[in-house]
Amino acid sequence: MTQSAEHVLDHFELFRGPEYQEMLVNKRQQFENRRDPAEVERVREWAKTPEYQEKNFAREALTINPAKACQPLGAVFAAVGFEGTLPFVHGSQGCVAYYRSHFSRHFKEPTSCVSSSMTEDAAVFGGLNNMIDGLANTYSMYKPKMIAVSTTCMAEVIGDDLNAFIKTAKEKGSVPAEFDVPFAHTPAFVGSHVTGYDNALKGILEHFWDGKAGTAPKLERAPNGKINFIGGFDGYTVGNLREIKRIFGLMGIGYTILGDTSDVWDTPTDGEFRMYDGGTTLAEAADAVHATATVSMQEYCTEKTLPFIAGHGQEVVSFNHPVGVAGTDRFLMALARLTGVEIPAELERERGRLVDAMADSSAHIHGKKFAIYGDPDLCLGLAAFLLELGAEPTHVLATNGNKAWAEKVQALFDSSPFGKNCHVYPGRDLWHLRSLLFTEPVDFLIGNTYGKYLERDTGTPLIRLGFPIFDRHHHHRFPVWGYQGGLNVLVTILDKIFDEIDSNTNVPSKTDYSFDIIR
Amino acid sequence: MSSLSATIQDVFNEPACAKNATKSAADRKKGCTKQLQPGGAAGGCAFDGAKIALQPLTDVAHLVHGPIACEGNSWDNRGAKSSGPTLWRTGFTTDMNETDIVFGGEKRLYKAIREIIEKYDPPAVFVYQTCIPAMTGDDINAVCKAAREKFGKPVIPINSPGFVGPKNLGNKLAGEALLEHVIGTEEPDETTPYDINIIGEYNLSGELWQVKPLLDELGIRILSCISGDGRYREVAYSHRARAAMMVCSKAMINVARKMEERYGIPFFEGSFYGIGDTSDSLRQIARLLVDRGAPADLLDRTEALIAREEARAWAAIAPFKPRFQGKKVLLITGGVKSWSVVAALQEAGLELAGTSVKKSTKEDKERIKELLGQDAHMIEDMTPREMYRLLKDAKADIMLSGGRSQFVALKAAMPWLDINQERHHAYMGYVGMVKLVEEIARTLFNPVWAQVRRPAPWDDPADTWQARADAALAAEAADPGKAEQARRAAGVCACKGVDLGTIEDAVRAHGLSSLDEVRRHTTAATGCGACASRVEDVLAALPALAAE
Repeated sequence: MTQSAEHVLDHFELFRGPEYQEMLVNKRQQFENRRDPAEVERVREWAKTPEYQEKNFAREALTINPAKACQPLGAVFAAVGFEGTLPFVHGSQGCVAYYRSHFSRHFKEPTSCVSSSMTEDAAVFGGLNNMIDGLANTYSMYKPKMIAVSTTCMAEVIGDDLNAFIKTAKEKGSVPAEFDVPFAHTPAFVGSHVTGYDNALKGILEHFWDGKAGTAPKLERAPNGKINFIGGFDGYTVGNLREIKRIFGLMGIGYTILGDTSDVWDTPTDGEFRMYDGGTTLAEAADAVHATATVSMQEYCTEKTLPFIAGHGQEVVSFNHPVGVAGTDRFLMALARLTGVEIPAELERERGRLVDAMADSSAHIHGKKFAIYGDPDLCLGLAAFLLELGAEPTHVLATNGNKAWAEKVQALFDSSPFGKNCHVYPGRDLWHLRSLLFTEPVDFLIGNTYGKYLERDTGTPLIRLGFPIFDRHHHHRFPVWGYQGGLNVLVTILDKIFDEIDSNTNVPSKTDYSFDIIR
Repeated sequence: MSSLSATIQDVFNEPACAKNATKSAADRKKGCTKQLQPGGAAGGCAFDGAKIALQPLTDVAHLVHGPIACEGNSWDNRGAKSSGPTLWRTGFTTDMNETDIVFGGEKRLYKAIREIIEKYDPPAVFVYQTCIPAMTGDDINAVCKAAREKFGKPVIPINSPGFVGPKNLGNKLAGEALLEHVIGTEEPDETTPYDINIIGEYNLSGELWQVKPLLDELGIRILSCISGDGRYREVAYSHRARAAMMVCSKAMINVARKMEERYGIPFFEGSFYGIGDTSDSLRQIARLLVDRGAPADLLDRTEALIAREEARAWAAIAPFKPRFQGKKVLLITGGVKSWSVVAALQEAGLELAGTSVKKSTKEDKERIKELLGQDAHMIEDMTPREMYRLLKDAKADIMLSGGRSQFVALKAAMPWLDINQERHHAYMGYVGMVKLVEEIARTLFNPVWAQVRRPAPWDDPADTWQARADAALAAEAADPGKAEQARRAAGVCACKGVDLGTIEDAVRAHGLSSLDEVRRHTTAATGCGACASRVEDVLAALPALAAE
């Protein structure tokens, strides 16, 4: 027996045992009717050719290995950033289970979210009863301070009217009339998770600023000199928001973070389960209307939210996930301009340290080629940083990137001599990228956990930067924004470059003459 | 210790060294190596020198007898490359403890040697003496002798404890150990008229391998390289070589000279850095071998190979010319032969803004005298502002230097390329020069430099340190008095902190005309002595000053 009760093997070891190996061979030979291995090999090689790439890029209907997720995932992200708020997704429950596991696997924290659990009946007759019962149960079981409603496709296809449903539910006593239930329609068949983030955030602000769905007077804006900050859908939100708070503190600026997820996704283990933790208070969310300006770190996460805020008289400024020196410079200078404060010496020192670190190590990155995929803003931020380091972001791909985004990326390429041979791929998936990595190979790939298949198939080393990252722990606790964040990204890239040098030189008596301890 | 001090005296008296031959008997006794300057930023010790000289012998177990400091901080810290054995990279030390200090560490050393031989069975064990057991009186010669007899294996004592002097001395003491215990103790299986030794070459970044194929093509065999990618046996039978090349460094001159004396192996001093130097070295090797009886066609074959390789290298460098148009390079180095890459840089279209004064031609020297009053040792002590001024005056676009100047260069916002031993690229031979030019191109056009030179965008452009330095420079230029003050404040002797003005005043006041007189009056050039040639330059320039 390979397996025994005294010493239970896990799957790594178990299936390598002789009896399993024998069984698999038998099965293959007797029952599988396998293709000729030579033919399999031929096709495998063919799939690496430009000829295959042409067919691959001619794909019209099929998306293979998408690098995006759906709107409600983003809606849940936005909602958990508010004090005591339970995201409530109106639609089928399976979707909600995905969001919870997706976030839990990335942040290694439980993520609370409920569903109206629509079934076939509801799909036929409408989900009103599910909304009424769902809100009532959520309110009484989980004692939230706010329930933020979004939708799955199912509810959207049948056209459930959230505004009317919530009103009816309140009338039926599901929740008290004055209880906050902001909402957003977030169909997955439009946009991606970044769109859902945008819609949900806008829904929450609209609720507080524009009279709570007709149950309260609209707020009159009285500018108070503060800055609203929106991080957007961001896998590094825990580390980033803490860093941003530190920067605001150093600059002495009054601020409100709209959607502060830094506590709920990083709760201490001290014997107390926190279903809710931290977050933007509801009072702050309402008060945010009075701010001087709103700064969004991710343009494509706030395409609707920012115009809504601008409509209330605030100045709005957006960035594309700034990483590195120039990006951070622009961010800080915008803060300084908006508030009239000076950038403190401490931040200037941090800037100098990042420049110093880049110069110390630049020789190792300079001239290297990278493929990047991820959300549109992240792609822009990382590509700009690579150009700053003298690297070439040869392929930049976002499944949820559109034409306007592609033009912006192209403009970035055009701004640097290192962007000359670089290309942007909006709306493409990871199977497209697989072809590109064969026909125009690069030195490194930057992406999320799913990139590990591309790493395995194409031999391109993967640098994990993005969302989701399931198979490496805790990187979300460290910032990638600010000069400190730039340093973290630099180190992440460098670590991989050095690991790669080591793994190419570590065969004893063959390649280890270059297995050096000093790099 | 008496035999160690005798060895040191012997090493100091190096007749093959042109510099040494011109010294008085008393000066010769003082030695050619830098005296350590208390309070200075110290370089490596004699132990370190011995260790780095011998560590590249790849199949030897290098055992450091001492407390953890010596080996703990230094094991496997060199970029030498091995084509086979890896034992040299394993850190062996006796890791002496308090008891060993009180009761002596000889037993522990003996046991350590035994354990190495039992576990690794290397062709030889090298035992390095360090300060502490040398002070407490451990006799490593006796221990090594006992071990050699007991185990029937070469166990070589390397007597170069740190306190006897600096790194360069350690290089020589390591050479002495080889001469005394290793060279001439074995015989090669066969010899050819084409056998050479290469002495003082460490195969850093594997750069010897860029030259070896050329030698292979000519049928020239490296019988022994001391010590890059070397094997114990090769060193043991190296006395059968027909000729030797001492790689451009005085570190192991004693080995080359004594092998000539003892075994009649002629040697020359050469370099594989730079295209012209590589060709010259190949010619010299061929010439020495033919003189010693190799067939004369070797000379023609060598010339043919040189012509072919040079043409290839120049052709590879030519495409860089347009990119280097108008770019200036500043070469600053301590020991490494940067001067020998100058031709390649100029061929690639780079202008030379300056180089370190050592070993430069007279014209070079004239041109750079004002730019560089100091050698690399001094540059490390420079403030970023001084560096900035230097680089600004030189109008340089890039600086080539050793690793220790890197960080100053970076802080002075200057593109920088490492050409000393910590580098990761091999610059030796013809291909090495092409590689160097490629690396310079990469460094020059790295966007990080633009970022490094730019102040934070919110800073007042008139209030950056560069602007302040510029303003100070402009003030100096506008005020002859200040300019003169700055000129006079230029340091000449780093060890004793003597500036140019002090020397000039002394020369004028006392009518000094010789180096020794300047030494007596100002203490300049009485430390490490590296500035002696600059003091002589000052003396030579003074009549001109007086004439003004």
